[in-house]
Amino acid sequence: MEGNSGKSILQFAPFQSSVDEGFWHRLSSLKLNKFGIDDSPILITGFYAPCSHSQVSNHLTLLAESLPLDSSEESSVPAVSRGNRNRCSVPGILYNTNTVESFHALDKQGLLKAEAKKIWEDIQNGKALEDTAVLSRFLLISFADLKKWSFHYWFAFPALVLDPPATLVNLKPASQVFSVEVAESLSAAFNDWRSSSLTADVPFFLVVIDSNLHATIKHLKDWETYQSAADHKLLFGFYDPCHLPNNPGWPLRNLLALICSRWDLKSVRFLCYRETRGFADLGLSLVGEAQITAPQGWGTLHSTPNAVGWELNKGRKVPRCISLAKSMDPTRLAVSAA
Amino acid sequence: MVLSQRLHEAFKGTVEKITGPRTVSAFKEKGVLSVSEFVTAGDNLVSKCPTWSWESGEPSKRKPYLPSEKQYLITRNVPCLRRAAFVEEEYEAAGMEVLIDNEDNDGWLATHGKPKDRSSEEENFPSIESLEINKNKSVKSSPSQVGGEDEDDIPDMADYEEADNIEIDPGTYLVAHEPDDDNILRTRTYDISITYDKYYQTPRVWLTGYDESRMLLQAELVLEDVSQDHARKTVTIEDHPHLPGKHASVHPCRHGAVMKKIIDVLMSRGVEPEVDKYLFLFLKFVASVIPTIEYDYTMDFDLGSTSN
Repeated sequence: MEGNSGKSILQFAPFQSSVDEGFWHRLSSLKLNKFGIDDSPILITGFYAPCSHSQVSNHLTLLAESLPLDSSEESSVPAVSRGNRNRCSVPGILYNTNTVESFHALDKQGLLKAEAKKIWEDIQNGKALEDTAVLSRFLLISFADLKKWSFHYWFAFPALVLDPPATLVNLKPASQVFSVEVAESLSAAFNDWRSSSLTADVPFFLVVIDSNLHATIKHLKDWETYQSAADHKLLFGFYDPCHLPNNPGWPLRNLLALICSRWDLKSVRFLCYRETRGFADLGLSLVGEAQITAPQGWGTLHSTPNAVGWELNKGRKVPRCISLAKSMDPTRLAVSAA
Repeated sequence: MVLSQRLHEAFKGTVEKITGPRTVSAFKEKGVLSVSEFVTAGDNLVSKCPTWSWESGEPSKRKPYLPSEKQYLITRNVPCLRRAAFVEEEYEAAGMEVLIDNEDNDGWLATHGKPKDRSSEEENFPSIESLEINKNKSVKSSPSQVGGEDEDDIPDMADYEEADNIEIDPGTYLVAHEPDDDNILRTRTYDISITYDKYYQTPRVWLTGYDESRMLLQAELVLEDVSQDHARKTVTIEDHPHLPGKHASVHPCRHGAVMKKIIDVLMSRGVEPEVDKYLFLFLKFVASVIPTIEYDYTMDFDLGSTSN
């Protein structure tokens, strides 16, 4: 197993997508009743949560609520309510094309760059410190074949590329890094953070351990306040959807880009926050140290760095497809009801 | 869906429309829940097991008798590492009883854990005809995900493969291991939801399955993860009351009676069960139906007050 000691390139486990059937049902209804042939991009919301089981990663999930409400449905409940610990919002954009040809003709690299540019600008103008959810964005391209009730789609999770790549100094389960006292204090602080509706869905944060070995979780923007206090130990934390013991998950990439760009740190201590049964699990959570060699002139860069992030389908660069004829096709529904 | 099942659903729908929801508690007497007791028990589940949340579901399907933001409970991405169908075969081959729950098994659910005891149970089921599932069908059938069939309907994506010049930066991308490990292949995940069934006045469990690449599983394949005693009898594939599509569900017709039995056993031991713990007891019972799906129903606390 690599990455436990010595220097190696920091490798990240890609984000994985998961689409609830309800998303496609609502998209179909919007397409038929509201959008028609208008194929302008629409803003959608994805949801994720920290990994909550040692054997499966969490996913970026799309639900019916990811889409705007169909105009025919009136509701007093807001489309996306904040503060749900199992649903941290991730802003996304959907390009749904009218034909399979235009789906394949989309300029994927260009679309990815456009989303990466938004992330880069939010880092530069400080918005990413105020609302850290914008550090993770996603892009979905799709073609909804409403004659056959099949959906072709492809996700991208834009990540700004550090060049040269960050190297890993060490990476260990958090429980092996902290003393029992710190670990207890840290677990309690995490469980408070995760159970308050004000912070439960804030995916990036700062872990502060003071000289009395007392741990607190602070907002990312508080780094500027704490960095001067020499007797504090600081770690950059994020909700890690990944379960792997030797790799951090995808959201760390843009966090490192922010740290590198705004604060120009050479060495970054980070914490991949993971849970078991909904509570902080420091055996599963990882603490690591990465070294960043700041790319030339990053702080003052006007153009957006290179970005990667198209999701692979079983290791291949191909879109996914799902057929929902069984639950959507009226003739089949009539047959199964007979 | 078979005709008798359709008729029963139609009947049930009509009864639900013309009768009001239960308001008087009959938890200890009948093992059922009133609407407000369901909400109380759900609130307790969400607070003790935070992987569960309340959701409001499709606005058009909202039930007026439940709070709009508390229509049903759901826990997502629950791992299922082995097929229940295989596990039982293994146990049976070893000449053992199927012992469903191995942690703090104190026997009070034994009648549901052992397949041999089912004959007496079975007679009591209303005649819901079982789904026609071919027993000999290979469990490892290849088109596991939705869309696996109807291949001719789907344009051949291989034509487009790798045509795009998309970058993946192999240096920092962790490319997943080839799925040569059998465990990875078999790892499915489930979204489990609990709705309130107004007709039976009990909670009802629904399963939505995903394969290892998080593609929707055909509802029929979900039955591989159901205890084989239940797969063709109590677990059926029906419309979800709050979500689109067909989902596997544990039919609630016997839930009240089973819960009543569990409550009686607890009371005979001097434990007075509290209604807000109902869903923990209920989920423990459901574990005998879906033994390999590792959802959370932590029971590290008292089930009720001990009366003496």
